[in-house]
Amino acid sequence: MKHHDTITGLVLLGLCAVTYWLTTGFSEVPAMLSQSVPPTFFPRLIISFVAVLSGVLVVTGLRKTPKVPSVLPAVFWTTVAIIASAGFLTGFFGTLMTLGIIAVALPIAWGERRYGLIGALAFCLPTFIYLVFTLGLDVRFPAGRIFDMLLQT
Amino acid sequence: MNLALEYALPVLTDPLVIGLIVGGTLVGVIIGALPGLSSSMGVALLLPFSLYLEPIPAIALLSALYCAGTFGGSITAILINAPGAPPAVATAFDGYPMAVKGEAGRALGIAAVSSVSGGILSVLVLLLAAPMLARVAYSFGPPEYFALGVFALSMLASISGEAPLKNLIGGCLGLLIATVGIDLTTGVERFTFGVPELYEGIQFIPVLIGLFAVTELLSQAQQLGRERIAVALSALKLPTLDDFRRIKGTILRSSGIGIFVGVLPAEGSTMAAMIGYNEAKRWSKTPEKFGEGAIEGVAGPEAANNAATGGAMVPTLALGIPGSATAAVILGGLQVQGLRPGPYLFEEQPGLLYGIFFAMLIANILFLFIGLLGAKVFARISLVPRTLLWPTVFALCFVGAYGLNQSIVDVWIMIISGLVGFVLKRNGFGPAPIIMGIVLGGLVETSLAQSMIIFDQQWTGFLTRPIALAFFALAIISLTGAQIRVALTRIFHRDSE
Repeated sequence: MKHHDTITGLVLLGLCAVTYWLTTGFSEVPAMLSQSVPPTFFPRLIISFVAVLSGVLVVTGLRKTPKVPSVLPAVFWTTVAIIASAGFLTGFFGTLMTLGIIAVALPIAWGERRYGLIGALAFCLPTFIYLVFTLGLDVRFPAGRIFDMLLQT
Repeated sequence: MNLALEYALPVLTDPLVIGLIVGGTLVGVIIGALPGLSSSMGVALLLPFSLYLEPIPAIALLSALYCAGTFGGSITAILINAPGAPPAVATAFDGYPMAVKGEAGRALGIAAVSSVSGGILSVLVLLLAAPMLARVAYSFGPPEYFALGVFALSMLASISGEAPLKNLIGGCLGLLIATVGIDLTTGVERFTFGVPELYEGIQFIPVLIGLFAVTELLSQAQQLGRERIAVALSALKLPTLDDFRRIKGTILRSSGIGIFVGVLPAEGSTMAAMIGYNEAKRWSKTPEKFGEGAIEGVAGPEAANNAATGGAMVPTLALGIPGSATAAVILGGLQVQGLRPGPYLFEEQPGLLYGIFFAMLIANILFLFIGLLGAKVFARISLVPRTLLWPTVFALCFVGAYGLNQSIVDVWIMIISGLVGFVLKRNGFGPAPIIMGIVLGGLVETSLAQSMIIFDQQWTGFLTRPIALAFFALAIISLTGAQIRVALTRIFHRDSE
């Protein structure tokens, strides 16, 4: 059982403290240049406002009935891993192949077992993106280190 | 009128623009019909690709998608009780019971005619009101713009009413995100952590795609067990004369409500549809039939949610203040295109208003025909397995985030934004307020800084500006309106007891 909003408010207050501290690291500029509106002025104003609102959230959260937080299913974490891996995989396999891999991994992780459909998606999706974006709109996607190595050999 | 035709003709005779409007309408109806995909997300996904076009065709495409996406949600709301988008939730209350009774075609016809009527009326208001509002805005200085920005942010408290406080916090977080990068006045780096890609600020488009699309993808991963069943797939039937007599008052009333709600900063089609539904019920001679398949229950929300689209474009174009979440995305698109939304836009790009006007007008007429011809097909599209749909959406997210600057850093920003958006959504923070904050960030900060310089660092200077004071007063009312209403209800209840 958790006071969800109270915890959220406390996390936000922590975030406000960190961002406020970060503003102390901004370079100082002469008042003439900043026209007496230093670069810290607006961020600090907003941070203060968020802090006040977060304080209200902490207090109002305590008045609410505590809830048991729902557990995220394993498939959610698999999805996060697949999505996050897209950024890493692009460096190795290039964008098009990475999207092909995602088009296979994500449906399988989500329980799809019609492999013919998955195969068709894995082929059609990168092909469509290549035709429309690379050939049509001249978007150059990273080829990836493996492809570069193959080209060199 | 001659001026309108002068600017409209090049738009109407350009095959590219017409093709984009037709394409945008078709894609909009499909996106609207697909549960989980909203018009906001559709516009967000299409935005990076629209940047390869000139401003008028680009905005025409996005505007057409906006209108059609709002209507598209009603198809699945009626046929399979799965509103394709939040504005269609109220349509399902009576649309689906009609479908269950074997009147799906009639419900679709009423939804289409109501949507078209509301949409066209709102576009006419857009054409008349936006230039008038822009003329008023000529007299606005930085203090007025700052106050207007504060008013727009305060309106966040009333969207998706369950969490007004969280919406406000979300809006402020958006403002804070907008401060990342080099401060234009002083040249000082803020929150850049020495990463050169952040010097120009966090790119708007990857954040937008992450918050709308990747967040929704992660939400869908939680709901994989739930299957959608088509109980009634039907073609659209135009309403009879008798039906039309019954709903014409509802359409007019709800269109008025939709336009008004749309014009208010930050309020959008979802709220318009809910009010439209409630008012249709309140004015009905047979309110007890609502929820069981009342045709006014379909006409009310549909006229209101589509009327809100044109209404939302009024402050977006005339003041640079988004009227809804989707309008915020379009506004961001205008900014990325290098345009300056606000009163001067009409001077600098006079054709743009007419481009948007005609795009929305054509889209509104088109989706009636698209609905007539293809409602059955769109209902089937909505049954496309999620397991295949969402990898495709992710691929578009990836390409959209990467395409603009051809930078993998933007892809990472999109992924991180999606993860952060999911955590925030799980804790009751919607993506729309954050996007509003990001879009308004530049305007609010710049106008505040300029105001402080004008007022010689004295906050009391705002007291000398009546228009700014009026906006501040409206902001206070919008922030405290709910509490005042509760307090007044209590007082009156006590008196009556």
